[in-house]
Amino acid sequence: MMLRLPLKTRYLSAFVLFVALACGSLALQAQSVNANQHPAAFIEAVTAQTLDVVKKDKAAQAGDRTAINNLVDQYVLPYVDFEKTTRLAAGRHWRDASAKQRADLVEAFKGTLIRTYSGSLSDVNNLAAINVAPFRGDENANDVVVRSSVIQKNGPAIAVDYRMENTPEGWKIYDLNAEGIWLIQNYRNQFSQVVNQQGIDGLIKTLNTQSMPAN
Amino acid sequence: MTPTPTSHRLQRLGRLSTAAAAVAFITGCATVSHPDPNDPLERYNRTMDKINYNVDQALILPIANTYKALTPQPARTCISNMFDNMGDVWSAANSFLQGRPHDFFNTLGRVLFNSTMGIGGCFDVASKNGSKRINNDLGITLGVWGVGSGPYVILPMMGPSTMRDGVARVGGFAAGFSDSTPIMAIKNVRVRNSVMGLYFVDLRTGLMDAESLVNDIAIDRYSFVRDAYLQRRQSLLESKLRAPDDTSYGALPDYEDFEE
Repeated sequence: MMLRLPLKTRYLSAFVLFVALACGSLALQAQSVNANQHPAAFIEAVTAQTLDVVKKDKAAQAGDRTAINNLVDQYVLPYVDFEKTTRLAAGRHWRDASAKQRADLVEAFKGTLIRTYSGSLSDVNNLAAINVAPFRGDENANDVVVRSSVIQKNGPAIAVDYRMENTPEGWKIYDLNAEGIWLIQNYRNQFSQVVNQQGIDGLIKTLNTQSMPAN
Repeated sequence: MTPTPTSHRLQRLGRLSTAAAAVAFITGCATVSHPDPNDPLERYNRTMDKINYNVDQALILPIANTYKALTPQPARTCISNMFDNMGDVWSAANSFLQGRPHDFFNTLGRVLFNSTMGIGGCFDVASKNGSKRINNDLGITLGVWGVGSGPYVILPMMGPSTMRDGVARVGGFAAGFSDSTPIMAIKNVRVRNSVMGLYFVDLRTGLMDAESLVNDIAIDRYSFVRDAYLQRRQSLLESKLRAPDDTSYGALPDYEDFEE
């Protein structure tokens, strides 16, 4: 499909890195990163350590689910407000969900995104560098975007941006942009579609079925 | 009387649109239980998407797989780079039309560099030296000129597009003003067809990784691709409405937060 669309080739291959590397980079930050520093320095520290951790973890690179889950639990969760990501993606349906449904939905969505690591972390060796752009926004703002570009050894550079919120515990990333495509924006319609047809439980079920490929 | 090249093109375009209309008519349309207001052609689109998908799986994907299996990675990268280099000429032309001299000369310089030092575009030496590729096309040019995108539409064989981008693509191709014009200019028909075939196969092969990712994480493949396409095109257009050195951010999505 999608023949004769060179542009699309590029943006979709960017999407491969979207969750794989960009999200992967959130995934693998070491816990020692200070979340109260300057926004760009925070992302810089996070991405630099990410590369380190992924490059060392051969099991995760090979797609080992336990190794990947460990990395995510240990390094991502302190710096990502995944509940907010899920809540914004769910939109008005969040209001109708019970506390248990909300918790389940967050877990299920996380599973869907983590699933992409299993195939893609092996690409880490194609990664030359992650350059974080100087921060030009208002660093006292509560909602900021930090831009970066992922330089590949074999292929075009990919623009990856992080949207984050200043919380009492420091910066928390909640949305990602790869080559102009926002993660949450890209799931809102799909979430709504499934909820309208099958309810919130249907959405949780759909995500869980998708998140558990025969491995 | 021998037909002129123009009448050939018109014939080709005529056949394409007839075929498209026929396919759409014969197959009827998929049912959509909760139509998206931003996608008025969803019924037609989903049907065409399904047709495209089936044709792809049955015909095009096997060819791409064979190509991937038979051609070593360095050769594939070289071929892909050469087509990208050719595409840069097209990007440059559109940057010119949009009155972006900085992008125009930048891209032109990149083409010259890659064509010489990069041996006919085989190696993307410009990227290795830190020059970022500046993508551009006729659909974006029309957008810069103020033409609205129109509804999202799945084109037969070509996949996701909008009314504006589709007209730019199909019309541009028919009028001999498109990224593949250099290929169509090859006089020897057999050579031309072979190069055109390689061009398609290269594109399809380049999409394989992205496709497997979409299959992994999309809840609904159609919606996922549509929303990604529309977001990407909008962001590309917005970037062309800013000065080249303007690094400011476009409007951020304003999600309604139902936190309690």
